[in-house]
Amino acid sequence: MKFDKTASGQTDAIAFEFDLTHSPQKVWRALTDARLLTEWLLPITQLKLEANADFKFQAPPQPGWDGVVNCKYLSIEPQKKLSWSWVVGDIDTIVTFTLTPIDAGTRLSLQQTGFKPHQKQNFGGARYGWNMMGEKLVALLERTA
Amino acid sequence: MQRTDVREDLIFKALADPSRRKIFEALTKGETAVTDLTARFHISQPAVSQHLGTLKEAGLVEGRREGRCVYYRVDPRGMKPLIDWVSHYRAFWSERVDRLEKLLEEMDE
Repeated sequence: MKFDKTASGQTDAIAFEFDLTHSPQKVWRALTDARLLTEWLLPITQLKLEANADFKFQAPPQPGWDGVVNCKYLSIEPQKKLSWSWVVGDIDTIVTFTLTPIDAGTRLSLQQTGFKPHQKQNFGGARYGWNMMGEKLVALLERTA
Repeated sequence: MQRTDVREDLIFKALADPSRRKIFEALTKGETAVTDLTARFHISQPAVSQHLGTLKEAGLVEGRREGRCVYYRVDPRGMKPLIDWVSHYRAFWSERVDRLEKLLEEMDE
């Protein structure tokens, strides 16, 4: 089952919730094992599961983009929460997975948000902070278009 | 994934600032005079003008002068890169999670 939670998010551009009929242990493996990540997400070039470790995804290059997604682990709570920065060119975002045990297996929530100002210091202040606006505003703008 | 271009970068930078987001959100409700924005947000007029300048540079708003008053409104075309970006990633994650579900079926416990 898949629920798009985006509409209820105020500042999160992208938020999903999925009920998976698999244990949190198993879902966690799929989120942290380089071979498994390569299979469902994107080819991964290097991976060390520890806070502040850098890694990269290599998507097929396109005109104007070499296909590289630069990532850094921000938070690792085994079988509970995993978050990493997701940087494409100059656009910085954070991808966060939260795992909650449910009767049927695991509720997986997925969010992609912009950097919040208080996280800037972790990155030497060289990057700017931005916060994606909610779908609400985007919908409003679509109406005014 | 969408390639980064200068235009997107300007939009994200313009909306990075909470005051600018507030001003921008106010403008989505309709054209507003700079003086009204100044009164509503308790920000000095030069500061409001500077925020509006940044939003304008990003293509998010457009201004017009009428007598002594300057009015600003949202330029809806300006939001297209952001809307495209959000739709792109929503489609991307939706498709990837389908793949994750298939992979979980194939994995050992």
